[in-house]
Amino acid sequence: MSAILRLSGLRKAYAGVRALDGVSFEVEAGSITGLIGPNGSGKSTAIDCISGFQKLDAGTVTLAGTDITGRPAHHIARTGLMRTFQTVRVYERLSLADNLAIAAQQFDPATWVDEFLRTRRYRQAVEASERRARELVELIGLERYYNAEAGILSYGQKKLVALAAALMPHPKIVVLDEPVAGVNPSRIREIEVALQQLNEAGETFLIVEHNVEFITTLCHRVIVLEQGRKLTEGTAAEIHTDPRVLEAYLGMTPEMAEAEMRGAA
Amino acid sequence: MKLALAFLGALAFAALPFLTSSNYIIGVGISALTFTVAAAALNLVYGFAGLLSFAQLGFWGIGGYAAALTVVTFGGTFWEGVLWAALLNGAIALVVGYPTLRTNRHAFVISTLTFALLVTLIARDWVSLTRGPLGIPNLPSPEAFGQRFDTPAKFYWIAWAFAVATIAFLYALCSSRIGRTLVAIKQNEPLTRAQGISPMPYKLAAFAVGAAITGAAGGVYCFELRIIDPTFLDFYYMQTFLIIVIIGGTGSFWGVIAAGIALSALPEVLRFSEDLRMIIYGVILVAAMFVMPSGVAGWLRERRLTAMREALR
Amino acid sequence: MTIDAAYLLQLTLNGIALGLLYALIAVGLSLIFGVMEIINFAHGELLMLGAFAMTFALPVVGLLYWPALAASLFATMLAGFVIFEILLVRLKPDEFERSILITLGLSIILIHTVQYLFTATPRMVDTQYGFDGVAIGTIRLTWTRLIGAGAAIVAFTGLYLTLRFTQFGRAMRAIAQNREAALMVGIRPRTVARNAVILAAGLCGLAGSALAPIQLVTPYMGQFLIFKAFALVIIGGLGNIPGAVVAAVALGLVESWIGGFFTAAWQEGAVFVIMIVVLMLRPDGLFKRGGMRVG
Repeated sequence: MSAILRLSGLRKAYAGVRALDGVSFEVEAGSITGLIGPNGSGKSTAIDCISGFQKLDAGTVTLAGTDITGRPAHHIARTGLMRTFQTVRVYERLSLADNLAIAAQQFDPATWVDEFLRTRRYRQAVEASERRARELVELIGLERYYNAEAGILSYGQKKLVALAAALMPHPKIVVLDEPVAGVNPSRIREIEVALQQLNEAGETFLIVEHNVEFITTLCHRVIVLEQGRKLTEGTAAEIHTDPRVLEAYLGMTPEMAEAEMRGAA
Repeated sequence: MKLALAFLGALAFAALPFLTSSNYIIGVGISALTFTVAAAALNLVYGFAGLLSFAQLGFWGIGGYAAALTVVTFGGTFWEGVLWAALLNGAIALVVGYPTLRTNRHAFVISTLTFALLVTLIARDWVSLTRGPLGIPNLPSPEAFGQRFDTPAKFYWIAWAFAVATIAFLYALCSSRIGRTLVAIKQNEPLTRAQGISPMPYKLAAFAVGAAITGAAGGVYCFELRIIDPTFLDFYYMQTFLIIVIIGGTGSFWGVIAAGIALSALPEVLRFSEDLRMIIYGVILVAAMFVMPSGVAGWLRERRLTAMREALR
Repeated sequence: MTIDAAYLLQLTLNGIALGLLYALIAVGLSLIFGVMEIINFAHGELLMLGAFAMTFALPVVGLLYWPALAASLFATMLAGFVIFEILLVRLKPDEFERSILITLGLSIILIHTVQYLFTATPRMVDTQYGFDGVAIGTIRLTWTRLIGAGAAIVAFTGLYLTLRFTQFGRAMRAIAQNREAALMVGIRPRTVARNAVILAAGLCGLAGSALAPIQLVTPYMGQFLIFKAFALVIIGGLGNIPGAVVAAVALGLVESWIGGFFTAAWQEGAVFVIMIVVLMLRPDGLFKRGGMRVG
């Protein structure tokens, strides 16, 4: 396995507060990597900086060998990094079909000239995109809403749509910002299963999440941030028992944490 | 279905000169067609791309002056005049649009407004070009194929052909991927960026196309008036376009077309005094914003959606 | 060409007086934006109402300036209150486009109702001071202009003290800086917004009353001024009150100087050119809005 996403020495400060203070880590191709840490530890900032929604003060981001540091967000997406947002974002007044089609349209070779002339290239692109969309909608179990407006869905369903949209163009890596925050606990399991299936099919994920149980069951590797620095990194089992993590992240003893985590699910 | 209706509607409008010999009614028809085109262009910019642009008024005026000056000062034909009106506006829109679209949406609205006023000032004060408040009277009738379009009925054909062509073009644009992407940008700009779409070229294109079409409509309309002066930039026109778009339903293509025809004909037919008409316009605008903020089309859509929600529960 | 120092000074004084009037309008807009995140398109019509109130109040009180000014101020503040309670109160925060369209409708209604009732004929207003004034050397300033400028300065001082030291002022600044936090500490946005609109209407009415004896009063007098004020608010940074004042006074000066040496066209166009240049260089205006966000 090789690293698909490589971050080194990320630094970012807001008005003197160091949100990221020299963070480096890698995401292996084909893995599910978790990024956890207490509130204000810099997780969200890290994602925003990687995906081009914020400018880094220093450090480099490399995606599949391409330096994407400081590139605009749409450029990074086209290079193959798709992301979701903590507060779910979908096109509320467009159908699921359109939501998914838009997510893929920058990645097919059809131009507006092709569309105007209805060329073969355009027709093939549309067909391929539709096939992919049907596949993903089936995976997230929302087939019957395919032609309905996204706005009528529940919050958790929208999170699934956002996930499907991010997967539409076969990205090199998908970055999920709190995929289960605010989702009805009964549905978390469904998301877990979907992500596992996708991973087995070869998708790479970087997941930021508060829900520790979700992260530890799902991720091959976990990176822990604290106050803008990387505290530690390891397998889910290692992290689960690392006293430093429990101390910093939860401010409690391992026993208390164990109980807490069971409760959190 | 909608297209078939639109086709029938277009044919029905083509028949207007056969149905009446009243030049007044034909004149109302010409206004209705050009205003509808301008409103449809505003709908592209505001309804689809979500950019509340008051610059449309400036483009309308620039279009009128460009067409008139092409004919009167530079000795071109009416057709060249309308073409220049469109091209010049498209170019100006790119230059004005780039810095203003980079600002936030509040500043965008206000800077487009001041752009419209700047155009008014130029029309009034650059006397050597525009002849100032006196304006340019006696604009000649258009000619083509050895035919002079010198009666209202004949000019009506021009306005009709122009309206059909531009509306068809706008429909093709709005129902394409580009139109869909504009709606997506309006609804959730960060998401489009995360999906590899750069919003700026789309917004700029919508702004420029809207400007070009508004300008061409202004160019046609000033030849209907046969005079252009700074009153061509009266805020009244902007208000009319806005009310059409809002009553028709922002972002609803055919809703705005229908509202354009209905609302530009209605005040003429009812023959109110100008002040009373404007007061009614103002009341309609305020009331519409509260009662049905997304227009008649939006109101119908809302009802359909409610039914759909019921069905899916 | 030698520039006459007295002439230049005269232009400068006129410019400051003009700039202060602009500032009265722009500050009101900025205040409303800061608290409600909306733009009041009908703000210029409040000014027009103030001026019209002056034309009716002055003859009633026998051309006495101060009672008429007070009456006109009261009338515009009342108008502000009514506008808020009927229209603006229904707006949620961040309905910027909607606020513009609604107040645009209101502006159309006000202009044309006044024109319908009182015709478009410009009105002249006379006061007890007539065209009397003070002369310092060759420089002459009429009382009405001096009082207008003085009233504006008093109003700004009052506004500053209000915002700085009163409960209401603190609440307003709190909302402008961080809406959610302000709500959490129990500030009622509705009351604060209403007071801000009334205050802004008062400032605008003051400008209208001060203008009435200086220039002709017409139903359209507010429209052009308000567009300039919009540009000023953008130049100064939306919602930034000191920024609006600085931009307004600077514009008054620039216009007055340009008007002294070039044709009127340049004078009127200056603001728009300045605005476009500022936006090119600094998309957020010259002075950024206060209130810092982290994260």
